[in-house]
Amino acid sequence: MADRILVLAEHESGALRERTWELLGLAHRLGEEAGKEVGAVLLGSGVQDLAEQLAARGGCEVLHADDPALAEYTQQGYGRMLEQVVAEESPWMVLASHSPTGWEVLPGLAAALDAVMATEIMAVTLESGTPRFTARVFNGKFEVLWTLGEQPPFLATVQRGAHGAVENAAAGSVRAVSCSLDEAPLRTRYVETRTGESGAVDLTQATVIVSGGRSLGGPEKFDIIRELAETLGGQVGASRPVTDAGWLPPEHQVGSSGVTVAPKLYIAAGISGAIQHIAGMKGAGYIVAINKDAEAPIFQVADVGIVGDLFEVIPALTKAVQQAKG
Amino acid sequence: MKILVCIKQVPDKDSTFRVDAGGTWVETDNLTFQVNDYDRYALEEALRLKDAGEAEVVVCSIGPDRASQAIKTALAMGVDRAVHVVDPAAENSDSLGLARILHAVAAEESFDLILAGLQAEDDNVAQVGPMLARLLDMPCATAITSLQVAEDGKSIRVERELENNRRQVVDLDLPALVTVQTGINSPRYASLKGIMAAKRKETRKPALADLGLSAEQVAPRRRVLALAPPAKGEGAEILQGSTADMVTELVQRIKEKTGVI
Repeated sequence: MADRILVLAEHESGALRERTWELLGLAHRLGEEAGKEVGAVLLGSGVQDLAEQLAARGGCEVLHADDPALAEYTQQGYGRMLEQVVAEESPWMVLASHSPTGWEVLPGLAAALDAVMATEIMAVTLESGTPRFTARVFNGKFEVLWTLGEQPPFLATVQRGAHGAVENAAAGSVRAVSCSLDEAPLRTRYVETRTGESGAVDLTQATVIVSGGRSLGGPEKFDIIRELAETLGGQVGASRPVTDAGWLPPEHQVGSSGVTVAPKLYIAAGISGAIQHIAGMKGAGYIVAINKDAEAPIFQVADVGIVGDLFEVIPALTKAVQQAKG
Repeated sequence: MKILVCIKQVPDKDSTFRVDAGGTWVETDNLTFQVNDYDRYALEEALRLKDAGEAEVVVCSIGPDRASQAIKTALAMGVDRAVHVVDPAAENSDSLGLARILHAVAAEESFDLILAGLQAEDDNVAQVGPMLARLLDMPCATAITSLQVAEDGKSIRVERELENNRRQVVDLDLPALVTVQTGINSPRYASLKGIMAAKRKETRKPALADLGLSAEQVAPRRRVLALAPPAKGEGAEILQGSTADMVTELVQRIKEKTGVI
Protein backbone atom coordinates (compact mmCIF):
# COMPACT_ATOMS: atom_id res chain seq x y z
CA MET A 1 0.00 0.00 0.00
CA ALA A 2 2.79 2.34 -0.86
CA ASP A 3 0.34 5.01 -1.97
CA ARG A 4 0.07 7.29 1.02
CA ILE A 5 1.86 10.26 2.51
CA LEU A 6 1.63 10.03 6.29
CA VAL A 7 2.26 13.04 8.47
CA LEU A 8 2.96 12.90 12.19
CA ALA A 9 0.60 15.33 13.95
CA GLU A 10 1.84 17.25 16.98
CA HIS A 11 -0.26 18.62 19.78
CA GLU A 12 0.45 20.48 22.97
CA SER A 13 -1.71 21.60 25.91
CA GLY A 14 -4.85 20.24 24.27
CA ALA A 15 -4.38 21.89 20.87
CA LEU A 16 -2.94 20.82 17.54
CA ARG A 17 0.23 22.71 16.72
CA GLU A 18 0.33 25.09 13.74
CA ARG A 19 3.11 23.06 12.10
CA THR A 20 0.75 20.11 11.73
CA TRP A 21 -1.39 22.17 9.35
CA GLU A 22 1.75 23.16 7.46
CA LEU A 23 2.76 19.50 7.09
CA LEU A 24 -0.70 18.72 5.78
CA GLY A 25 -0.51 21.65 3.36
CA LEU A 26 2.73 20.23 1.95
CA ALA A 27 1.40 16.66 1.93
CA HIS A 28 -1.77 17.59 0.02
CA ARG A 29 0.15 19.63 -2.56
CA LEU A 30 2.64 16.81 -3.09
CA GLY A 31 -0.05 14.12 -2.96
CA GLU A 32 -1.95 15.78 -5.77
CA GLU A 33 1.16 15.93 -7.91
CA ALA A 34 2.32 12.40 -7.12
CA GLY A 35 -1.12 10.78 -7.09
CA LYS A 36 -0.91 9.80 -3.41
CA GLU A 37 -3.46 9.88 -0.62
CA VAL A 38 -2.73 11.81 2.55
CA GLY A 39 -3.06 10.44 6.07
CA ALA A 40 -2.21 11.78 9.51
CA VAL A 41 -1.02 9.89 12.58
CA LEU A 42 -2.21 11.25 15.91
CA LEU A 43 -0.73 9.74 19.07
CA GLY A 44 -1.98 10.59 22.54
CA SER A 45 -4.28 9.72 25.39
CA GLY A 46 -7.84 11.02 25.49
CA VAL A 47 -7.47 13.29 22.47
CA GLN A 48 -10.45 12.10 20.43
CA ASP A 49 -11.55 15.73 20.00
CA LEU A 50 -8.18 16.57 18.41
CA ALA A 51 -8.51 13.57 16.10
CA GLU A 52 -11.84 14.93 14.88
CA GLN A 53 -10.47 18.46 14.42
CA LEU A 54 -7.56 17.00 12.48
CA ALA A 55 -9.83 15.02 10.17
CA ALA A 56 -12.17 17.97 9.64
CA ARG A 57 -9.59 20.63 8.75
CA GLY A 58 -6.77 18.34 7.62
CA GLY A 59 -8.77 16.74 4.84
CA CYS A 60 -7.43 13.25 5.37
CA GLU A 61 -7.91 10.01 7.23
CA VAL A 62 -6.58 10.27 10.78
CA LEU A 63 -4.97 7.17 12.23
CA HIS A 64 -5.54 7.67 15.91
CA ALA A 65 -3.65 5.64 18.50
CA ASP A 66 -4.93 6.15 22.02
CA ASP A 67 -2.89 4.77 24.89
CA PRO A 68 -2.36 6.01 28.47
CA ALA A 69 1.39 5.62 27.91
CA LEU A 70 1.14 8.32 25.21
CA ALA A 71 -0.30 10.95 27.57
CA GLU A 72 3.06 12.74 27.48
CA TYR A 73 5.51 12.51 24.63
CA THR A 74 8.42 10.14 25.22
CA GLN A 75 10.81 8.95 22.55
CA GLN A 76 10.09 5.27 23.12
CA GLY A 77 6.34 5.66 23.50
CA TYR A 78 5.96 7.69 20.33
CA GLY A 79 8.71 5.79 18.52
CA ARG A 80 7.30 2.32 19.12
CA MET A 81 3.72 3.31 18.36
CA LEU A 82 4.71 5.12 15.18
CA GLU A 83 6.70 2.08 14.05
CA GLN A 84 3.67 -0.16 14.48
CA VAL A 85 1.30 2.20 12.68
CA VAL A 86 3.74 2.70 9.80
CA ALA A 87 4.42 -1.05 9.54
CA GLU A 88 0.69 -1.65 8.99
CA GLU A 89 0.33 1.16 6.48
CA SER A 90 3.53 0.78 4.40
CA PRO A 91 3.35 4.44 3.32
CA TRP A 92 5.12 6.00 0.36
CA MET A 93 6.37 8.89 2.47
CA VAL A 94 6.41 9.91 6.14
CA LEU A 95 6.75 13.58 7.10
CA ALA A 96 7.27 15.06 10.55
CA SER A 97 8.04 18.57 11.67
CA HIS A 98 11.72 19.35 12.34
CA SER A 99 10.86 19.78 15.99
CA PRO A 100 12.19 18.20 19.19
CA THR A 101 9.60 15.45 18.57
CA GLY A 102 10.18 15.00 14.84
CA TRP A 103 13.97 14.99 14.88
CA GLU A 104 13.95 12.53 17.79
CA VAL A 105 11.51 9.88 16.52
CA LEU A 106 11.85 9.97 12.72
CA PRO A 107 15.50 8.77 12.48
CA GLY A 108 14.61 5.85 14.77
CA LEU A 109 11.71 4.99 12.49
CA ALA A 110 14.05 5.18 9.50
CA ALA A 111 16.49 2.77 11.16
CA ALA A 112 13.66 0.38 12.01
CA LEU A 113 12.38 0.46 8.41
CA ASP A 114 15.84 0.34 6.83
CA ALA A 115 14.98 3.66 5.17
CA VAL A 116 17.02 6.82 4.65
CA MET A 117 15.76 10.31 5.36
CA ALA A 118 16.26 14.02 4.76
CA THR A 119 16.40 16.65 7.51
CA GLU A 120 14.71 20.02 7.89
CA ILE A 121 13.57 20.20 4.30
CA MET A 122 12.06 23.33 2.78
CA ALA A 123 10.58 21.80 -0.36
CA VAL A 124 9.90 18.51 -2.15
CA THR A 125 9.94 18.21 -5.92
CA LEU A 126 9.21 15.19 -8.10
CA GLU A 127 11.49 13.85 -10.81
CA SER A 128 9.81 11.03 -12.75
CA GLY A 129 7.72 10.32 -9.67
CA THR A 130 10.70 10.16 -7.31
CA PRO A 131 10.91 12.84 -4.62
CA ARG A 132 13.85 15.19 -4.21
CA PHE A 133 14.31 17.29 -1.12
CA THR A 134 15.64 20.83 -0.74
CA ALA A 135 17.35 21.81 2.52
CA ARG A 136 20.00 24.17 3.84
CA VAL A 137 23.48 23.07 4.87
CA PHE A 138 26.63 24.80 6.18
CA ASN A 139 24.68 26.98 8.57
CA GLY A 140 22.36 28.24 5.87
CA LYS A 141 25.11 29.22 3.45
CA PHE A 142 24.17 26.62 0.82
CA GLU A 143 21.05 24.98 -0.49
CA VAL A 144 21.26 21.26 -1.10
CA LEU A 145 19.14 18.93 -3.22
CA TRP A 146 18.97 15.44 -1.70
CA THR A 147 17.80 12.22 -3.29
CA LEU A 148 16.83 9.30 -1.06
CA GLY A 149 17.05 6.81 -3.91
CA GLU A 150 14.14 5.17 -5.71
CA GLN A 151 12.77 2.91 -3.02
CA PRO A 152 9.96 4.08 -0.71
CA PRO A 153 9.32 4.83 2.07
CA PHE A 154 10.86 8.32 1.88
CA LEU A 155 11.23 10.04 5.25
CA ALA A 156 11.84 13.70 6.01
CA THR A 157 11.53 16.30 8.74
CA VAL A 158 10.16 19.61 7.49
CA GLN A 159 11.31 23.11 8.42
CA ARG A 160 8.73 25.10 10.33
CA GLY A 161 7.10 27.80 8.20
CA ALA A 162 8.43 26.32 4.95
CA HIS A 163 4.95 25.60 3.63
CA GLY A 164 1.55 27.23 3.97
CA ALA A 165 -1.13 25.58 6.11
CA VAL A 166 -3.71 23.25 4.58
CA GLU A 167 -6.74 25.12 3.25
CA ASN A 168 -10.22 24.16 2.11
CA ALA A 169 -9.67 20.42 2.27
CA ALA A 170 -12.70 18.14 2.24
CA ALA A 171 -13.22 16.66 5.71
CA GLY A 172 -11.73 13.21 6.35
CA SER A 173 -12.48 10.59 8.96
CA VAL A 174 -10.92 9.15 12.10
CA ARG A 175 -9.83 5.53 12.33
CA ALA A 176 -8.74 4.11 15.68
CA VAL A 177 -5.69 1.92 15.21
CA SER A 178 -5.46 -1.20 17.28
CA CYS A 179 -1.77 -1.05 18.15
CA SER A 180 -0.71 -1.35 21.75
CA LEU A 181 2.40 -0.56 23.76
CA ASP A 182 1.92 -3.22 26.39
CA GLU A 183 4.58 -5.85 25.72
CA ALA A 184 7.78 -4.23 27.04
CA PRO A 185 8.07 -1.47 29.62
CA LEU A 186 9.22 1.87 28.27
CA ARG A 187 12.78 2.82 29.22
CA THR A 188 12.11 6.54 28.75
CA ARG A 189 9.92 8.14 31.41
CA TYR A 190 8.45 11.62 31.38
CA VAL A 191 9.15 13.62 34.55
CA GLU A 192 8.01 17.19 33.87
CA THR A 193 8.17 20.16 31.53
CA ARG A 194 9.94 23.30 32.75
CA THR A 195 9.73 26.80 31.41
CA GLY A 196 13.02 28.69 31.48
CA GLU A 197 13.24 31.76 33.66
CA SER A 198 12.30 34.89 31.82
CA GLY A 199 14.22 37.03 34.31
CA ALA A 200 14.05 40.79 33.98
CA VAL A 201 13.90 40.72 30.19
CA ASP A 202 10.88 39.93 28.07
CA LEU A 203 11.92 40.28 24.45
CA THR A 204 8.49 39.23 23.20
CA GLN A 205 7.10 42.58 24.36
CA ALA A 206 9.93 44.75 22.99
CA THR A 207 9.29 47.33 20.26
CA VAL A 208 12.97 47.50 19.35
CA ILE A 209 15.58 44.76 19.68
CA VAL A 210 19.27 45.16 18.95
CA SER A 211 20.94 41.73 18.81
CA GLY A 212 24.62 40.92 18.83
CA GLY A 213 26.39 37.80 17.63
CA ARG A 214 29.53 35.80 18.24
CA SER A 215 31.69 38.13 16.17
CA LEU A 216 31.47 40.75 18.93
CA GLY A 217 34.15 38.63 20.57
CA GLY A 218 33.29 38.89 24.27
CA PRO A 219 30.75 39.97 26.89
CA GLU A 220 32.34 43.39 27.46
CA LYS A 221 31.95 44.17 23.74
CA PHE A 222 28.18 44.17 24.20
CA ASP A 223 28.38 47.71 25.60
CA ILE A 224 28.05 49.18 22.10
CA ILE A 225 24.96 47.00 21.48
CA ARG A 226 23.48 48.01 24.85
CA GLU A 227 24.09 51.68 24.15
CA LEU A 228 22.34 51.53 20.78
CA ALA A 229 19.43 49.57 22.29
CA GLU A 230 19.04 52.13 25.07
CA THR A 231 19.19 55.02 22.63
CA LEU A 232 16.38 53.41 20.62
CA GLY A 233 14.40 52.56 23.76
CA GLY A 234 14.82 48.86 23.05
CA GLN A 235 16.16 45.61 24.45
CA VAL A 236 19.32 43.60 23.86
CA GLY A 237 19.03 40.28 22.06
CA ALA A 238 21.61 37.69 21.11
CA SER A 239 22.31 34.72 18.87
CA ARG A 240 22.75 31.25 20.34
CA PRO A 241 26.60 31.18 20.50
CA VAL A 242 26.47 34.31 22.71
CA THR A 243 24.19 32.76 25.34
CA ASP A 244 25.96 29.38 25.06
CA ALA A 245 29.21 31.12 25.94
CA GLY A 246 27.53 32.81 28.89
CA TRP A 247 28.11 36.37 27.62
CA LEU A 248 24.41 37.03 28.22
CA PRO A 249 21.75 35.05 30.15
CA PRO A 250 19.66 32.58 28.08
CA GLU A 251 16.52 34.75 28.12
CA HIS A 252 18.26 37.07 25.63
CA GLN A 253 18.51 34.36 22.99
CA VAL A 254 16.39 34.97 19.90
CA GLY A 255 15.63 31.87 17.84
CA SER A 256 13.51 28.75 17.58
CA SER A 257 15.11 27.34 20.74
CA GLY A 258 15.06 30.71 22.52
CA VAL A 259 12.33 33.31 22.14
CA THR A 260 10.36 34.18 19.03
CA VAL A 261 10.08 37.95 18.70
CA ALA A 262 8.18 40.42 16.55
CA PRO A 263 9.40 43.96 17.33
CA LYS A 264 8.81 46.93 15.03
CA LEU A 265 12.57 47.20 14.52
CA TYR A 266 15.15 44.40 14.73
CA ILE A 267 18.83 45.19 14.30
CA ALA A 268 21.13 42.17 13.87
CA ALA A 269 24.76 43.09 14.43
CA GLY A 270 27.43 40.52 13.65
CA ILE A 271 24.85 37.74 13.29
CA SER A 272 25.31 35.54 10.23
CA GLY A 273 21.72 34.29 10.25
CA ALA A 274 21.63 30.60 11.16
CA ILE A 275 18.28 29.00 10.30
CA GLN A 276 17.26 28.71 13.92
CA HIS A 277 17.97 32.41 14.60
CA ILE A 278 16.02 33.56 11.56
CA ALA A 279 13.07 31.41 12.65
CA GLY A 280 12.90 33.51 15.81
CA MET A 281 13.01 37.01 14.27
CA LYS A 282 11.68 36.93 10.72
CA GLY A 283 8.34 38.25 11.98
CA ALA A 284 9.91 41.61 12.90
CA GLY A 285 8.42 44.67 11.18
CA TYR A 286 11.70 46.07 9.86
CA ILE A 287 15.00 44.22 9.89
CA VAL A 288 18.42 45.83 9.71
CA ALA A 289 21.53 43.68 9.27
CA ILE A 290 25.07 44.82 9.91
CA ASN A 291 27.76 42.28 9.05
CA LYS A 292 31.23 42.31 7.56
CA ASP A 293 30.42 39.26 5.38
CA ALA A 294 28.35 40.38 2.39
CA GLU A 295 27.36 36.73 1.80
CA ALA A 296 25.89 36.23 5.29
CA PRO A 297 22.38 34.68 5.03
CA ILE A 298 21.00 37.40 7.36
CA PHE A 299 21.03 39.82 4.40
CA GLN A 300 18.44 37.62 2.69
CA VAL A 301 15.84 38.26 5.38
CA ALA A 302 16.81 41.85 6.20
CA ASP A 303 15.10 44.87 4.69
CA VAL A 304 18.21 46.98 4.71
CA GLY A 305 21.86 46.11 5.30
CA ILE A 306 25.26 47.59 5.89
CA VAL A 307 28.31 45.56 4.97
CA GLY A 308 30.96 46.76 7.35
CA ASP A 309 32.76 46.57 10.67
CA LEU A 310 30.16 46.66 13.43
CA PHE A 311 32.63 48.29 15.85
CA GLU A 312 32.64 51.26 13.51
CA VAL A 313 29.03 51.20 12.33
CA ILE A 314 27.21 50.64 15.65
CA PRO A 315 28.75 53.58 17.58
CA ALA A 316 28.22 55.82 14.54
CA LEU A 317 24.61 54.68 14.33
CA THR A 318 24.08 55.34 18.05
CA LYS A 319 25.39 58.86 17.60
CA ALA A 320 23.23 59.46 14.51
CA VAL A 321 20.11 58.26 16.35
CA GLN A 322 20.91 60.56 19.28
CA GLN A 323 21.23 63.51 16.88
CA ALA A 324 18.03 62.60 15.07
CA LYS A 325 16.16 62.55 18.37
CA GLY A 326 17.63 65.96 19.14
CA MET B 1 30.69 3.24 33.68
CA LYS B 2 31.82 2.86 30.10
CA ILE B 3 31.04 5.80 27.82
CA LEU B 4 31.30 6.13 24.05
CA VAL B 5 31.40 9.57 22.44
CA CYS B 6 30.82 9.77 18.68
CA ILE B 7 32.47 12.76 17.02
CA LYS B 8 32.75 14.16 13.52
CA GLN B 9 35.46 16.31 12.02
CA VAL B 10 33.92 19.24 10.11
CA PRO B 11 35.23 22.35 8.34
CA ASP B 12 35.60 25.50 10.43
CA LYS B 13 32.23 27.19 9.98
CA ASP B 14 33.83 30.59 9.42
CA SER B 15 35.66 29.31 6.34
CA THR B 16 35.04 30.80 2.92
CA PHE B 17 33.36 27.93 1.12
CA ARG B 18 33.37 27.28 -2.62
CA VAL B 19 31.21 24.77 -4.46
CA ASP B 20 33.32 21.92 -5.83
CA ALA B 21 33.75 21.05 -9.52
CA GLY B 22 31.03 18.40 -9.40
CA GLY B 23 28.58 20.90 -7.90
CA THR B 24 27.59 18.48 -5.14
CA TRP B 25 29.63 19.63 -2.12
CA VAL B 26 32.19 22.24 -1.13
CA GLU B 27 35.87 22.23 -2.06
CA THR B 28 37.71 20.78 0.92
CA ASP B 29 41.34 21.24 -0.15
CA ASN B 30 41.95 24.56 1.52
CA LEU B 31 39.70 24.23 4.54
CA THR B 32 40.67 24.01 8.19
CA PHE B 33 38.95 21.12 9.95
CA GLN B 34 38.00 20.83 13.60
CA VAL B 35 35.81 18.83 15.98
CA ASN B 36 32.12 19.54 15.32
CA ASP B 37 31.06 22.11 17.91
CA TYR B 38 28.14 20.06 19.28
CA ASP B 39 30.52 17.10 19.73
CA ARG B 40 32.91 19.17 21.86
CA TYR B 41 30.06 19.62 24.33
CA ALA B 42 29.37 15.86 24.18
CA LEU B 43 33.06 15.16 24.92
CA GLU B 44 33.05 17.59 27.84
CA GLU B 45 29.89 16.02 29.29
CA ALA B 46 31.52 12.56 29.16
CA LEU B 47 34.73 13.87 30.74
CA ARG B 48 32.72 15.47 33.55
CA LEU B 49 31.23 12.07 34.35
CA LYS B 50 34.75 10.65 34.32
CA ASP B 51 35.97 13.42 36.63
CA ALA B 52 33.07 12.74 38.99
CA GLY B 53 33.80 9.04 39.43
CA GLU B 54 34.76 5.83 37.76
CA ALA B 55 34.31 6.02 34.03
CA GLU B 56 36.19 5.03 30.95
CA VAL B 57 35.62 7.30 27.97
CA VAL B 58 36.13 6.03 24.43
CA VAL B 59 35.84 8.27 21.37
CA CYS B 60 34.88 7.07 17.91
CA SER B 61 35.09 8.92 14.62
CA ILE B 62 34.51 7.82 11.05
CA GLY B 63 36.51 9.74 8.50
CA PRO B 64 39.58 10.02 6.32
CA ASP B 65 43.13 10.24 7.70
CA ARG B 66 42.72 13.94 8.51
CA ALA B 67 40.08 12.98 11.13
CA SER B 68 42.95 11.68 13.28
CA GLN B 69 43.45 15.32 14.24
CA ALA B 70 39.96 15.46 15.75
CA ILE B 71 40.68 12.25 17.63
CA LYS B 72 43.94 13.72 18.95
CA THR B 73 41.98 16.70 20.23
CA ALA B 74 39.57 14.38 22.07
CA LEU B 75 42.41 12.31 23.56
CA ALA B 76 44.22 15.48 24.64
CA MET B 77 41.04 16.69 26.37
CA GLY B 78 41.16 13.53 28.48
CA VAL B 79 39.42 10.73 26.57
CA ASP B 80 41.03 7.35 27.38
CA ARG B 81 41.23 5.70 23.97
CA ALA B 82 39.93 5.98 20.44
CA VAL B 83 38.47 4.07 17.53
CA HIS B 84 39.02 5.70 14.14
CA VAL B 85 37.13 3.95 11.35
CA VAL B 86 39.09 4.65 8.17
CA ASP B 87 37.71 3.18 4.99
CA PRO B 88 37.01 4.85 1.65
CA ALA B 89 33.61 3.13 1.53
CA ALA B 90 32.67 4.69 4.87
CA GLU B 91 33.43 8.24 3.75
CA ASN B 92 30.53 8.57 1.34
CA SER B 93 28.03 6.71 3.45
CA ASP B 94 24.70 8.24 4.50
CA SER B 95 23.40 8.61 8.06
CA LEU B 96 22.02 5.08 8.25
CA GLY B 97 25.29 3.67 6.93
CA LEU B 98 27.24 5.66 9.52
CA ALA B 99 24.87 4.48 12.25
CA ARG B 100 25.49 0.89 11.11
CA ILE B 101 29.25 1.38 11.36
CA LEU B 102 28.93 2.90 14.85
CA HIS B 103 26.59 0.04 15.76
CA ALA B 104 29.32 -2.44 14.80
CA VAL B 105 31.87 -0.49 16.88
CA ALA B 106 29.53 -0.24 19.88
CA ALA B 107 28.61 -3.93 19.65
CA GLU B 108 32.24 -4.93 20.24
CA GLU B 109 32.06 -3.78 23.86
CA SER B 110 29.15 -2.90 26.07
CA PHE B 111 28.75 0.80 26.68
CA ASP B 112 26.49 2.13 29.43
CA LEU B 113 26.13 5.54 27.84
CA ILE B 114 26.66 6.85 24.33
CA LEU B 115 26.92 10.58 23.63
CA ALA B 116 26.92 12.43 20.32
CA GLY B 117 26.35 16.02 19.22
CA LEU B 118 22.80 17.04 18.29
CA GLN B 119 23.83 17.57 14.69
CA ALA B 120 26.81 18.18 12.44
CA GLU B 121 27.56 21.77 11.54
CA ASP B 122 28.30 20.94 7.90
CA ASP B 123 25.38 18.81 6.66
CA ASN B 124 22.92 19.77 9.45
CA VAL B 125 21.50 16.24 9.37
CA ALA B 126 20.91 15.27 13.07
CA GLN B 127 20.09 11.62 12.36
CA VAL B 128 23.00 9.35 13.25
CA GLY B 129 22.49 9.49 17.04
CA PRO B 130 18.82 8.44 17.17
CA MET B 131 19.40 5.91 14.36
CA LEU B 132 22.23 4.33 16.33
CA ALA B 133 20.04 4.24 19.44
CA ARG B 134 17.37 2.34 17.49
CA LEU B 135 19.86 -0.13 16.05
CA LEU B 136 21.16 -0.80 19.58
CA ASP B 137 17.62 -0.79 21.02
CA MET B 138 18.65 1.91 23.50
CA PRO B 139 16.36 4.65 24.80
CA CYS B 140 17.35 8.02 23.40
CA ALA B 141 17.02 11.72 24.19
CA THR B 142 18.09 14.52 21.85
CA ALA B 143 19.29 18.11 22.35
CA ILE B 144 19.96 17.62 26.04
CA THR B 145 20.97 20.59 28.17
CA SER B 146 21.64 18.72 31.41
CA LEU B 147 22.53 15.18 32.44
CA GLN B 148 22.64 13.54 35.87
CA VAL B 149 23.28 9.92 36.73
CA ALA B 150 20.84 8.45 39.27
CA GLU B 151 22.29 7.40 42.63
CA ASP B 152 21.88 3.71 41.85
CA GLY B 153 23.73 4.23 38.55
CA LYS B 154 20.98 2.52 36.59
CA SER B 155 19.39 5.50 34.90
CA ILE B 156 20.03 9.11 33.91
CA ARG B 157 17.85 12.19 34.22
CA VAL B 158 18.21 14.62 31.33
CA GLU B 159 16.66 17.88 30.23
CA ARG B 160 15.73 18.01 26.56
CA GLU B 161 15.57 21.43 25.02
CA LEU B 162 12.15 22.16 23.54
CA GLU B 163 11.12 25.30 21.69
CA ASN B 164 10.25 28.68 23.20
CA ASN B 165 12.51 28.45 26.23
CA ARG B 166 11.00 25.21 27.60
CA ARG B 167 12.62 21.98 28.66
CA GLN B 168 11.34 18.44 29.09
CA VAL B 169 12.79 16.44 31.96
CA VAL B 170 12.96 12.73 31.21
CA ASP B 171 14.50 9.63 32.83
CA LEU B 172 16.27 7.06 30.65
CA ASP B 173 17.28 3.59 31.79
CA LEU B 174 20.91 2.75 31.04
CA PRO B 175 22.28 1.79 28.63
CA ALA B 176 21.08 4.88 26.77
CA LEU B 177 22.10 7.29 24.03
CA VAL B 178 21.83 11.07 24.21
CA THR B 179 22.62 13.84 21.75
CA VAL B 180 23.96 17.03 23.25
CA GLN B 181 22.90 20.64 22.61
CA THR B 182 25.50 23.42 22.71
CA GLY B 183 25.70 25.41 25.93
CA ILE B 184 25.22 22.38 28.23
CA ASN B 185 28.71 23.03 29.67
CA SER B 186 31.94 24.86 28.84
CA PRO B 187 34.16 22.48 26.87
CA ARG B 188 37.69 22.32 28.21
CA TYR B 189 40.77 23.01 26.15
CA ALA B 190 43.54 20.45 26.04
CA SER B 191 46.35 21.15 28.50
CA LEU B 192 49.99 20.68 27.54
CA LYS B 193 50.01 17.67 29.84
CA GLY B 194 46.92 16.35 28.07
CA ILE B 195 48.55 16.77 24.69
CA MET B 196 51.63 14.86 25.84
CA ALA B 197 49.53 12.12 27.44
CA ALA B 198 47.47 11.74 24.24
CA LYS B 199 50.56 10.50 22.41
CA ARG B 200 50.61 7.37 24.56
CA LYS B 201 46.93 6.59 24.20
CA GLU B 202 45.61 3.82 21.99
CA THR B 203 43.83 4.55 18.70
CA ARG B 204 42.50 1.52 16.91
CA LYS B 205 41.87 1.96 13.18
CA PRO B 206 39.52 -0.71 11.93
CA ALA B 207 38.37 -0.86 8.30
CA LEU B 208 34.82 -1.94 7.50
CA ALA B 209 35.85 -5.58 7.02
CA ASP B 210 37.38 -5.59 10.53
CA LEU B 211 33.96 -4.62 11.84
CA GLY B 212 32.22 -7.37 9.89
CA LEU B 213 30.70 -4.94 7.41
CA SER B 214 30.82 -4.88 3.64
CA ALA B 215 30.92 -1.76 1.46
CA GLU B 216 27.44 -2.69 0.16
CA GLN B 217 25.96 -2.57 3.65
CA VAL B 218 26.95 1.07 4.03
CA ALA B 219 26.55 2.17 0.40
CA PRO B 220 24.79 5.55 0.38
CA ARG B 221 21.16 5.78 -0.69
CA ARG B 222 20.86 9.43 0.35
CA ARG B 223 23.03 11.46 -1.98
CA VAL B 224 23.51 15.12 -2.88
CA LEU B 225 22.34 15.92 -6.39
CA ALA B 226 23.28 19.59 -6.28
CA LEU B 227 24.72 22.18 -3.93
CA ALA B 228 24.51 25.91 -4.58
CA PRO B 229 24.27 29.19 -2.69
CA PRO B 230 20.60 29.83 -1.84
CA ALA B 231 18.65 31.47 -4.62
CA LYS B 232 18.75 35.15 -3.84
CA GLY B 233 15.37 36.53 -3.00
CA GLU B 234 14.91 40.25 -3.01
CA GLY B 235 17.26 40.39 -0.08
CA ALA B 236 18.27 43.49 1.80
CA GLU B 237 18.92 46.77 0.12
CA ILE B 238 22.62 47.24 0.82
CA LEU B 239 23.53 50.82 1.69
CA GLN B 240 26.62 52.29 0.05
CA GLY B 241 29.08 55.05 0.84
CA SER B 242 31.10 56.11 3.85
CA THR B 243 30.10 54.94 7.34
CA ALA B 244 28.70 58.42 8.02
CA ASP B 245 26.63 58.36 4.82
CA MET B 246 25.34 54.88 5.49
CA VAL B 247 24.22 55.53 9.08
CA THR B 248 22.54 58.80 8.06
CA GLU B 249 20.65 56.93 5.37
CA LEU B 250 19.81 54.12 7.82
CA VAL B 251 18.42 56.49 10.45
CA GLN B 252 16.22 58.01 7.75
CA ARG B 253 14.87 54.56 6.81
CA ILE B 254 14.25 53.60 10.41
CA LYS B 255 12.33 56.85 10.93
CA GLU B 256 10.18 56.32 7.85
CA LYS B 257 9.56 52.60 8.19
CA THR B 258 9.18 52.07 11.92
CA GLY B 259 8.46 55.39 13.57
CA VAL B 260 10.54 54.36 16.60
CA ILE B 261 12.76 57.44 16.31
